[in-house]
Amino acid sequence: MTVAAPQAGELVVDLDVFHGPFDLLISLVLREEIDLWEVSVSRIIGDYVVRLADCGEFDLEATSQFVVLVAALLEMKSRLLLDLEPEDEEQLDAEQAGEELLVALLRYQQFRLAGEALRVRWAEHAGRIYRHAPLPSRFRARVDESRRLPVSLLADALAPLLREPPAPDASHITDVAVSLVAELRRLRTLLRRHGAFSFLAIAPSDRLEKAITFFALLELHNRGEARLDQPRAFADITVTATPSVSLAG
Amino acid sequence: MDILAREIEAVLYAAARPVSADELVSVCAADADDVAAALEALRGAFASGRHGIELHAVAGGYTFVVACACEAAVEAFAGARRPDELSPALLETLSVVAYLQPATRADVARVRGVSSEWALSALEERGLVRECGRADTPGSPILYGTTDRFLTLFGLCDLGELPPLDGYAPSDSDVEELRARLLANAERRT
Repeated sequence: MTVAAPQAGELVVDLDVFHGPFDLLISLVLREEIDLWEVSVSRIIGDYVVRLADCGEFDLEATSQFVVLVAALLEMKSRLLLDLEPEDEEQLDAEQAGEELLVALLRYQQFRLAGEALRVRWAEHAGRIYRHAPLPSRFRARVDESRRLPVSLLADALAPLLREPPAPDASHITDVAVSLVAELRRLRTLLRRHGAFSFLAIAPSDRLEKAITFFALLELHNRGEARLDQPRAFADITVTATPSVSLAG
Repeated sequence: MDILAREIEAVLYAAARPVSADELVSVCAADADDVAAALEALRGAFASGRHGIELHAVAGGYTFVVACACEAAVEAFAGARRPDELSPALLETLSVVAYLQPATRADVARVRGVSSEWALSALEERGLVRECGRADTPGSPILYGTTDRFLTLFGLCDLGELPPLDGYAPSDSDVEELRARLLANAERRT
């Protein structure tokens, strides 16, 4: 006997902090009555996969709904992990904000009045009837008999297009002097020796090489070997070794 | 009517679209001044009330249009329908594109304060705006501009015939009144 695939709301989850239907868990998390840190998403997924395996048929809609809900949970949890601060918006005082709003409203009013003027023109002109009949076919194409192209001429023109072009010569382009692996090695050495450094102080001047250094930084961050701090957009990045690297160094 | 005016009359009849003065100069192998004089003579000959059709300058050229008094007869014969009316939202969006073009979707949204994606799609479907390239800014957003159909439906020869936008600027007293209302609203909320 086949059993229908579990709907996301029907799934009963059994966690340390909660036991009950999955959709109730979501509601409690959204109302902040359950600490999201304590929710083991991997166990929820594991339970669902077991239930799926017991079912005889695969319900795409039910499973898709579950995936969406779990993805939302993961996104909320990842925000907590990154400890994202709300973006600092430019602080305007009330008077400045009021003036900006006034300017925007006045500009909108201009275009609204222009739209009104267009409505008047539309009322007067949109109903006019113009002739749209196409030209009689005998007038549409004029063939100049004296200028017919011989087929051989057309073939000669097409032939170069069908030939494979020569490979471009790249000998004048110098190889990139920095490789990602070498850069990772260099950054690790800097972290072991100094514990912290500034990105702009150690990055090469060449744009491509600087980009490779930045990728290496991201890789170190992903592996948990370094912490990256940037006080504001486009400011210098301070790279600090994480405690595990400091202890190992 | 001289032969040049008659030739122009024939070309305009056959073309079934607005034909520019430059095209007429080329096609009729005539002088620009002579073409202008011939067009003036034609406009006089087809002035309002004389024939069932009139000569109009629209969308960058000249074309024949059915006289208002005869529209009912043509509609009955050809089943011609007036285009659907434009809502205030579409007219606002169209005015922003017409005056700021080429304009991106964001430019329109910045003026109107709301998303204009639907309005721009509707205007594109009606042939009043079209895509005319991409902006040279991050993301390369699409640029929109008005079409010849826009000029025709609004009875404009070219965009220069649009009234200047400054003419719709509010008066000083309107500005002060609006400022006072904003302040009053802000005080009511605090």
